[in-house]
Amino acid sequence: MQTEELIRTLTSDCAPVRPLAHPGWRAAAWFAISLGYVAAVVAAIGLRPDISSKLADLKFLLEVGAAFLTSMMAAAAAFCAGCPGRPVWERFAPVPFLALWLASLGQGCWREWLAAGAAGLAIRPDLVCFPIIVAIGIIPGLLIFIMIRRGAPIAPFSTMGLAALAAAALGAAALRLLHTEDASIMVLVWQFGSVALLTGLEALFGRFFLRWPTLQEALAADRRVAR
Amino acid sequence: MSDRADTKARRDREEHWRAHLRSAQDGDGRAYAQLLSELLPMLRRIVTHKWPNAPDIEDVVQEVLVSLHTVRHTYDPNRPFMPWFMTITTRRIADAARRRYARSTNETTVDVMPETFSGDETKTEQETSDDQEALRKVMSTLPDGQRQAIDLLKIQGLSLQEASQITGKSVASLKVAVHRAIKAMRDALERKT
Repeated sequence: MQTEELIRTLTSDCAPVRPLAHPGWRAAAWFAISLGYVAAVVAAIGLRPDISSKLADLKFLLEVGAAFLTSMMAAAAAFCAGCPGRPVWERFAPVPFLALWLASLGQGCWREWLAAGAAGLAIRPDLVCFPIIVAIGIIPGLLIFIMIRRGAPIAPFSTMGLAALAAAALGAAALRLLHTEDASIMVLVWQFGSVALLTGLEALFGRFFLRWPTLQEALAADRRVAR
Repeated sequence: MSDRADTKARRDREEHWRAHLRSAQDGDGRAYAQLLSELLPMLRRIVTHKWPNAPDIEDVVQEVLVSLHTVRHTYDPNRPFMPWFMTITTRRIADAARRRYARSTNETTVDVMPETFSGDETKTEQETSDDQEALRKVMSTLPDGQRQAIDLLKIQGLSLQEASQITGKSVASLKVAVHRAIKAMRDALERKT
């Protein structure tokens, strides 16, 4: 096909398209829906028995708050990564909150090391964390996946990684409200580790899930819009 | 003065394309066709510049146009046009180059397609005649016993027992003679090629 003919094909019967909303609004919409879902799951399972004392603990609030903010900022960054022409620094928006989350866990590990020595940093198997984070994060994960597919696949690895971080961090934050595990080293290894693993794994599949459509796929999509 | 004029021209062009893309998002096919037609020469220059050894520049240009079309809803009318356009173009060219490279690693480029040596139907008459001549020449250099063994067993197609009766040699010595003759012929042919 000649290029001029291709232009005629693409522009004839050109259906109106709705421009994507600002990434901030899309992130806010995703976070609000996901937060509602997570709140319902937490209410259904039941909060941890010591929640009232934990809510008075500044370290706990800082840690959970940083996880929620990481989730929200990662979602905003994932939506920015699908909008061509936006500055690259926006993709690093969750980094300060991720660092704060990691720092609060690191500070907890340091305190436990000072209090109990090597015994304070003992790692025991806690295999429920990973499946619970996946179970809580799967619906927000699917929702954000559908939403990022509306964007352009200009940075597939970082877009998928950030989307996975958003969903997994939300799952990990919810887990802190359910699961009575407060040893920082355990939270670091099993909960933060699960988030890191899920983020890395999903980022690897970025190019598989987010790819440029072929001409046939583009024309088929146009026909669907026109109908 | 000229710099200022250039800047103004660039700004006007940017505004012109922004307006056309906004109209395209609203479903104005004529504005959209004009936008893509105006972008086409620049797109060809960018593809040639970014990927000078592209096997088919026009194919890549078309892939970029299809990509611009499929993600035209990602353009925010409140943001500049050129960064949006350049990001898609450069990413799409890189993606096309990566895919072509990945495909080429599984392909072997040859000037002449390889042919089987054993099937006569794949050869010209001249090649068949050349092969027979080469074999005859190599056979003539073999010792008498080996040449006779090849002649009886491989050319006339006799059994080992029949050849043994004709030559008066044992079956085992005929087998050894054929083995050594074939090895000598193979070595001689390889030396020739």
